[in-house]
Amino acid sequence: MNLSEVTERISRKLEAKGAQPDRQKIESRLRRLVEEFGVNTAEAERTVTGDLAREYNLTGVGSTSTELRPISEITPGEWVTIEGKIVSLTPSLSPSIAQNGIIADSSGAMRFVAWARANAPVMEYGHWYRIESAVVDEYKGAPNLKIHSGTTISRMEKDAPLLPSITPVAELKPGVGSVRAKVIQNWEVSHDRMLQTGLLGDETGTIKFVIWKEEGKDQLDLNTVYNIFYATVDEYNGRLSLALNTAMYISDEGDIEVGRNETEIQGALVHIAPGSGLIKRCPVEGCNRTLSRQNYCPVHEIQPEFRYDLRLKAVLDDGIRAKNILMQREIVEKLAGITLDEAVGIAETNPLGMDEIFYRIRNAVLGRYYTCSGNEFGGRLLVDSCSPVTFKSEELASLLNRAGGEAA
Amino acid sequence: MKPQSAFEREPARRVFANELRETRYQFKESEDEKSPTYVLLPSGIRSNRIFIVGTLTEKQRQGDQNVFYRGRVVDPTGTFFIMAGSYQPEAMQQLARIEPPAFVAVVGKPNLYTTPDGTCLVSVRAESISVVDHETRDIWVLDTARETLDRLDAFGTTEDSNKAQEEYGTRPDVYRKIVYDALSQVQL
Repeated sequence: MNLSEVTERISRKLEAKGAQPDRQKIESRLRRLVEEFGVNTAEAERTVTGDLAREYNLTGVGSTSTELRPISEITPGEWVTIEGKIVSLTPSLSPSIAQNGIIADSSGAMRFVAWARANAPVMEYGHWYRIESAVVDEYKGAPNLKIHSGTTISRMEKDAPLLPSITPVAELKPGVGSVRAKVIQNWEVSHDRMLQTGLLGDETGTIKFVIWKEEGKDQLDLNTVYNIFYATVDEYNGRLSLALNTAMYISDEGDIEVGRNETEIQGALVHIAPGSGLIKRCPVEGCNRTLSRQNYCPVHEIQPEFRYDLRLKAVLDDGIRAKNILMQREIVEKLAGITLDEAVGIAETNPLGMDEIFYRIRNAVLGRYYTCSGNEFGGRLLVDSCSPVTFKSEELASLLNRAGGEAA
Repeated sequence: MKPQSAFEREPARRVFANELRETRYQFKESEDEKSPTYVLLPSGIRSNRIFIVGTLTEKQRQGDQNVFYRGRVVDPTGTFFIMAGSYQPEAMQQLARIEPPAFVAVVGKPNLYTTPDGTCLVSVRAESISVVDHETRDIWVLDTARETLDRLDAFGTTEDSNKAQEEYGTRPDVYRKIVYDALSQVQL
């Protein structure tokens, strides 16, 4: 066992309390205990930490790590002792990791990793363990329990049933979460290793889910409600997704009215972005990418058998915030008063071609007021309904009151 | 998927011609060449972009080598001076096509400049211009009235409005009156 590692850990613990310990001194004391007196490293660490804490007049250095803490209250940067049940074990991704998975108590759950170097006893699924002096740091935006060489693990003779608390989808945070939700969409898998991906929803909102290929993992059925315990909540580009490989999921009776967490914005269309109007899409199944003018798809190269489509990428601005929006064909057709077939007809006979459609749509909508609602995705509002704002005389009356007080 | 940049587009403020005409103070947040230039509106908010709807009453083509267009856009409180040159090709071509008088919606950046005799003028460098209808103009008057009143209600509570008080000695009552007069011209 490497003493400089232990030294580092002790000095960091003390520094966290405001002391400035001398690392050489710590290491020589450790070395003395371990090499001369044959004390094991964990005990030596405890002794030296305690001695130094007393010398620096610090309280709560050694003791915090033995005080039992509920998992839900732990924050990154702490040294902790917890008692929990191993509710998930996932295959190790690297030879330096001995075990990783999720440990839970009645207050919550947390991912953990046991380093190969820690030489920790192997923990078994479904059993309770007391874990002393583990350190919590942050991994992918969520607290993560690290089991290192100074951590003591003891198996407990406890078998308390553990009921995970269900979190509403809208309140999930990176880390570990349990939900009761319905599968509302199945998406095309985008990777060889992916078993299934799609959208889950409950009354409060929706979230993307992924199941990676792994032995014994089953797909979820569309339009079925599931209890999903201990899934991993990841954050990417500010959006959350649920990885079910750590989770246990069982279908449940009943139905859920899925909340669509729609956003509604009223404002003026102040900008029509390039790529709006008539576009060509790649015909390869599942691709659907926009082709360049030369019918080039970034993945499938030249595609002369493209499909036409209409869309509008624009900015809706309410004077306080400018929001990117994206409208699909049906809405653009209604708004601009032109159908896809008409647009194709015009583009194929007009000397400006597809540009002509861009100009027509721009002239029909730019600078006008609309109310758009839809789901936000990646900083963009995907509009599923849109209507022009109309003039309301009662609004004029109330603004006159606000501005003047005494109406004329 | 591409990582989302932290870039946020500057919103287009709603402002009446009368208020924009009084604007005198222009500033940048940092020395960085690319940082946006703001004007400080007397009602107490910074603005890098504005959205106006009014009547285009006049347009002029100017310059020989570097052609650009000037136009006058009228709202119930006064006149906006807009321009579009070769750096705003979209707006220039749109403006070239529009025959006054017409209701137009303009998105553009407010610019201050001082004439040789020392008067300060505000013009709007247009990013886009489009022809709209009478109803859109009326909705804009309501929208601009509401946002101006919102700014006046918050006057004295925000950093920008304190700055406006310093620079202009803004009297919110005067602007309330302007809003009232603008609204009075909208036909029920």
